[in-house]
Amino acid sequence: MSSGLQEQFSRISAFSPVTRREPSSHPEPQDPSNLLTVLGGEIARNRYGEFLVARQWYSSPERCGADTEVLRLLLSANSELTEWELQRAADPEKWLLLDTETTGLVGGTGTYAFLIGLAWWESGGIRIEQLFMRDHDEEHSILLELADRLAERPVLVTFNGKCFDWPLLQNRFRMTRQIATPAFAAHLDLLHPARQLWRLQIGSVRLTELEQYVLGAESLGWSRRNDIDSSRIPEFYFEFLRGVAIDGIAGVFHHNRMDLRGLAALAGRIFRMLSQLEGGEQEPLELYAISHLLNRRGECSKARRVYERCLSMKLPEPIARRARNEAARLAKRERDFGRATELWNELASSSEPSWEALEQLAIYNERRARNFNEAARLSRLALAELRRASRLGLITPERHEHLSAGIKRRLARLGPKLDLGCAWQSEPLPKMLK
Amino acid sequence: MGREACSTDSYCWLDFVRPDFRRHRAFWYARSLLPNNLSAASYSIVPPIVPYPKGSRLNSQSPIEPPSYPLPHGHVQRSTATPLEPGLQLGHLHVVEGRLAHFNAQCARERSSPAPLTPPELLKGERTWLVQTLGCDLNLVLHTIIVTEAHNALAFIGHPAHDSTSFAFHSPALQGGSVAGSIPVSRSSSGNEIERVVDQLAARDRNEELLSALHHFPAQEAKWAPMPEWVRPELVAAYGDKGVQRLYSHQARAIAAIHERHNTVIVTPTASGKTLCYNLPVINSVLEGPDVRALYLFPTKALAQDQLAELHELGERLESAFGVFTYDGDTPSDARAAIRERGHIVLTNPDMLHAGILPHHTRWTRLFESLRYIVLDELHTYRGVFGSHLANVLRRLRRVAKFYGSDPRFIACSATIANPAELAQRLTETDFECISENGAPAGEKFFLFYNPPVVNRYLGIRRSYIHESARIAQEFLKRDLQTLVFANSRLHTELLLTYLQHANRAAPGREQSIRGYRGGYLPNERREIERGLREERISGIVSTNALELGIDIGSLDAVVMAGYPGTLASTWQRAGRAGRRNGSSCAVFVASSAPIDQFIVQNPDYFFGRSPEHAFIQPNNLEILVNHLKCAAFELPIRRDEQFGGIDVAPICERLEESGYLHRTGNNWHWTEQAYPADTVSLRAVTSDSFVIVDTTGAPETIGEVDFPSALTTVHPKAIYLHQGQQYQVERLDFEKRKAYVKQVQLEYYTDAIRYTQVRVLDTAETLRFEPAESRNEPGATRNHGDVLVRSQVVGFKKIKFFTNENVGSGNLELPENEMHTTAVWLTLERSLIDSLLFPVRDRQSGMHGLLYALSSMATLLLMCDRRDLGTAIGERPPLLGLDLEWSESFGFGEEREYFEPNLYIYDVYPGGIGFSEPLYEIANVLIARTRKLIEACPCGTGCPSCVGPADQGSENAKEVALAILRRIGAVSR
Repeated sequence: MSSGLQEQFSRISAFSPVTRREPSSHPEPQDPSNLLTVLGGEIARNRYGEFLVARQWYSSPERCGADTEVLRLLLSANSELTEWELQRAADPEKWLLLDTETTGLVGGTGTYAFLIGLAWWESGGIRIEQLFMRDHDEEHSILLELADRLAERPVLVTFNGKCFDWPLLQNRFRMTRQIATPAFAAHLDLLHPARQLWRLQIGSVRLTELEQYVLGAESLGWSRRNDIDSSRIPEFYFEFLRGVAIDGIAGVFHHNRMDLRGLAALAGRIFRMLSQLEGGEQEPLELYAISHLLNRRGECSKARRVYERCLSMKLPEPIARRARNEAARLAKRERDFGRATELWNELASSSEPSWEALEQLAIYNERRARNFNEAARLSRLALAELRRASRLGLITPERHEHLSAGIKRRLARLGPKLDLGCAWQSEPLPKMLK
Repeated sequence: MGREACSTDSYCWLDFVRPDFRRHRAFWYARSLLPNNLSAASYSIVPPIVPYPKGSRLNSQSPIEPPSYPLPHGHVQRSTATPLEPGLQLGHLHVVEGRLAHFNAQCARERSSPAPLTPPELLKGERTWLVQTLGCDLNLVLHTIIVTEAHNALAFIGHPAHDSTSFAFHSPALQGGSVAGSIPVSRSSSGNEIERVVDQLAARDRNEELLSALHHFPAQEAKWAPMPEWVRPELVAAYGDKGVQRLYSHQARAIAAIHERHNTVIVTPTASGKTLCYNLPVINSVLEGPDVRALYLFPTKALAQDQLAELHELGERLESAFGVFTYDGDTPSDARAAIRERGHIVLTNPDMLHAGILPHHTRWTRLFESLRYIVLDELHTYRGVFGSHLANVLRRLRRVAKFYGSDPRFIACSATIANPAELAQRLTETDFECISENGAPAGEKFFLFYNPPVVNRYLGIRRSYIHESARIAQEFLKRDLQTLVFANSRLHTELLLTYLQHANRAAPGREQSIRGYRGGYLPNERREIERGLREERISGIVSTNALELGIDIGSLDAVVMAGYPGTLASTWQRAGRAGRRNGSSCAVFVASSAPIDQFIVQNPDYFFGRSPEHAFIQPNNLEILVNHLKCAAFELPIRRDEQFGGIDVAPICERLEESGYLHRTGNNWHWTEQAYPADTVSLRAVTSDSFVIVDTTGAPETIGEVDFPSALTTVHPKAIYLHQGQQYQVERLDFEKRKAYVKQVQLEYYTDAIRYTQVRVLDTAETLRFEPAESRNEPGATRNHGDVLVRSQVVGFKKIKFFTNENVGSGNLELPENEMHTTAVWLTLERSLIDSLLFPVRDRQSGMHGLLYALSSMATLLLMCDRRDLGTAIGERPPLLGLDLEWSESFGFGEEREYFEPNLYIYDVYPGGIGFSEPLYEIANVLIARTRKLIEACPCGTGCPSCVGPADQGSENAKEVALAILRRIGAVSR
């Protein structure tokens, strides 16, 4: 390059070097040819060329049992699987656990999935196969390999794969203009169920945290003590590409394997939890989350049973209120008014009476028990509670307006009946006056 | 009767016209209406001016006295075309033409007296005679009679109550004449109203200072062409339902060119039906092959929304045979997937294409695989930095399209600029067919230039143009004329809005009829306002340039522009917002005291002549190019042998690889960075950075904004910031948060930042000596252009007393230094020239500063760029003692500076230059001539903000020195 051009270039801020942190642990360059030894991998080949594959087998976690009921629950409500497809997808032999490591989190056509980690149950343990592109020209071969694996095991199991891994892989397949994006039978993304089940307990639902708090990391048989900082994964890959260091990338392989094993353990845990609704060893909060999940998926009777079960255990007060409320609603739907009023009464008589329960009781008294005075009294109480809730900012002014208007309508409707009710309160109404 | 049809003859008689009459509307009428041949049997004007108010003094006037001399009845031929109707004559201004010779002879014979009539006598008689001739007996006044060289006479008569201008009848040109006849022309009611405002403005102008131009554009007939046969019948029917049965000639030519697969650029005025030129062929292609896709690019989101509405309407008529969607930052994410799949026509903007579509092209596979058309509307907005970026975005777009196997064609539409085809070609790097002749009809239109009156002649201070604009707008509004007011900043928009809303209070319970419109308003509110304008529920609107581009708001009666919009193209665009198909409309430009405004307002011919503006871009600016190459690498790996806009990319990619952005594998470079390159590249501006000015006198209130480069000089700590005539002192400048906190003060001084700017020439590309004009000395100056290094820092400020301009103190500042490599044009003034200036050193110094100020003002005009795009500096001609010291205040200009040969630099304020320097170098002669004209025409004493900048302390001759230099180097003033 001419010195003139170099000088011109030196003024361009767009060339200013990428700021990177120090290379990972070993400062002195390592020979990339050690790679196979360090990673314990081997060179594989298909019709697009070579790539590196690292295969491992672990005895844990164990293969999880799956049934169609739970699967139906886990697949999003709008999934359009037929019964037969569901049957097929419920066979863990057909599952392919997938987790990719990428050159960035932003997506877009310039983000590559350089490591595709796959796992499945095999011989009583778990088999992990990591497909790695040692350079950009090996991308086609690892993608083809993935397509082949997915043809064998067409049910994709991921953690946040719906939003991240799979769209990115779709991009990569399209960028080849040669390999068709493979189709799968079902995609089971465990992020959403996990979030529903454990958000109440641990707040953020990251895989590492689930491993630690939910799955019991020690019992899993591995630990994340030496794990890398996952935000540096792209850097480690770029270091590797430039031949600067390879132990960073070795750490990425390890990280990916642990993620896959964590994913497998998580799948097992979720299936176990959801298949043993009665008499399992779930914690009360988990039980509440399960019932909530069941409720949202429209499994009313199951949900109700679980609600009742967790209500019999010790729940923190705000959660217990929610559970009672939801359980009462379900009971009402199943026309079990006895249990519903019981729950509402509990809610209405607490130190912070629930306006919802008061309103429901008022409705019950008006329509079923035909105790209009009681209905009116409860309605007035509900109005007062609503006002309080609005003052405390628990409900928006518009909602307050809307709800209280409904209650006022009820009061107005009750008005004429009350006059009668006062005169003959203890007596049944004479027939002629009706 | 075109306005360009004036012959030499007609110009001659115009010279006889009394000066005060020149200001009269009738004069402009005559000028625009006159045919080539003055002996035409009769022509007439002129619209009614005022339907007189009841009880006006007209009716009580006594009848006219009988003539005191016999009238040459024999020569009067009344027009037989239209007898005057009594109702119409009131307030008409009639132009009567006759032949001078006949009249003279007649007079002499009948009066048997050789002595010519004295003008008052003659006029008195003439008036009566004309009144009789015209068949009306009202108390008309003969304004003036104009005699042509060809012995034709034109008499202008009107009624005294038309305006307050009183004419004294002593025209030397008046020798008598005979009358051929007169036909009043009746007009639509809005015409009446418009003309009343025009008359009122003309009447206010007693000293010929306010209205510097009053142009009249006659109505234009449509030129029609049939709908081509290849257009699908259902599309013909759909357009037929909309009322489009045939095409204007330019539309027909455009769609033919597009149909023949040419890249086409269409250049016609606002409201000439440009959108049909691209919509029709695109939809036709979609109807023929449902796989066809088209991408429309609009410079703003609002324009895309507007187009969407129009296309939806067409789509409904065609039973939704095609999908059309906008895709921009406002598009909800759940709708995006559907748009990607089903959008035949996707409407977006360059920014979204750059950061939202291209980096995710895999999701747009359908679009890119069948991309047939790319439409670039408002092409003229893609100039300078924005255009240079867009050219690179289009390079990336074509690269991606090629990856998916498509090769789209371009259709571009532009407002009037000098080089539309060239701009389109530079942007897209393909050849274009240009269609510029306009076949659309237009109503009659007035265009006025208004210069606010001078209130302090010495300092060149004029009355606030904002207030004047509000007053003029109010004239239109109070007559129920729908009026659009353009301001150049958000703040001025709000100010004008306040004034006008105050003057037009809505009745209780009624909708506010004056509304504002600018970028910060919510989309729904904007739609509502646009609809209100179309339905004429809103009578007045104050807008920033947001309404300049083709948003459909219908056409209005009047447009008032507060301040020059910056370019001729924008000015015409804004003026084009006023224009009724039938009936009159009016556009008024109100000049601020900025040099460009003053030049334009004082040289209307520059404006009304052919557009000289060129739009320039520099797609190969290295900074921009490298940034887009990074984006391109993110989108698709870059091949070693690839060309990017004809540039060999290998050296750049190698450099990017060294810096860690790319990694080469085999023959391809791949992106190896976590960040998203498009996010860090903004297409719009040199810098999006600006400082907000917060007034903390009372409750904190934001009063304005200054961009980063000028913030350092105008809102540094302790600076006096002038805003709407109010003084503010800057208390604190918060660099982090980009805020300047100010307080209102009443002080006798203002501040002037001392900026230390060094320019070092790195490489001179071209040099040329100015040629001596005939019989003159060698000018002793050269012009150059090339690469420079600009280093600048604000080091202090001076306090300068108002009126006396005494320096009453100073202060030091510590602000960060800026360094930038860019391109520049510079004039070198040699010693011979400097020696020839017979002025004290200090005068020469301020003269050169003033000259540079004026030159850069004029350069922004010629280059169609923003004032902020150009920087100026004066520097030593290198090398001298190895130093290149800025000629700053802190530096003495004494004996040791004897050999001072200054360079006057005008540089691009963008790293690497943005393509202004070379064109500016090419047109240096024009620049010199125009600058000279600007300074010569300025009425101020010793320099004002409108010419060489405010008069400097202790030097009163800045203006003269600047002129002396210009006269020496400028060949001939044009």
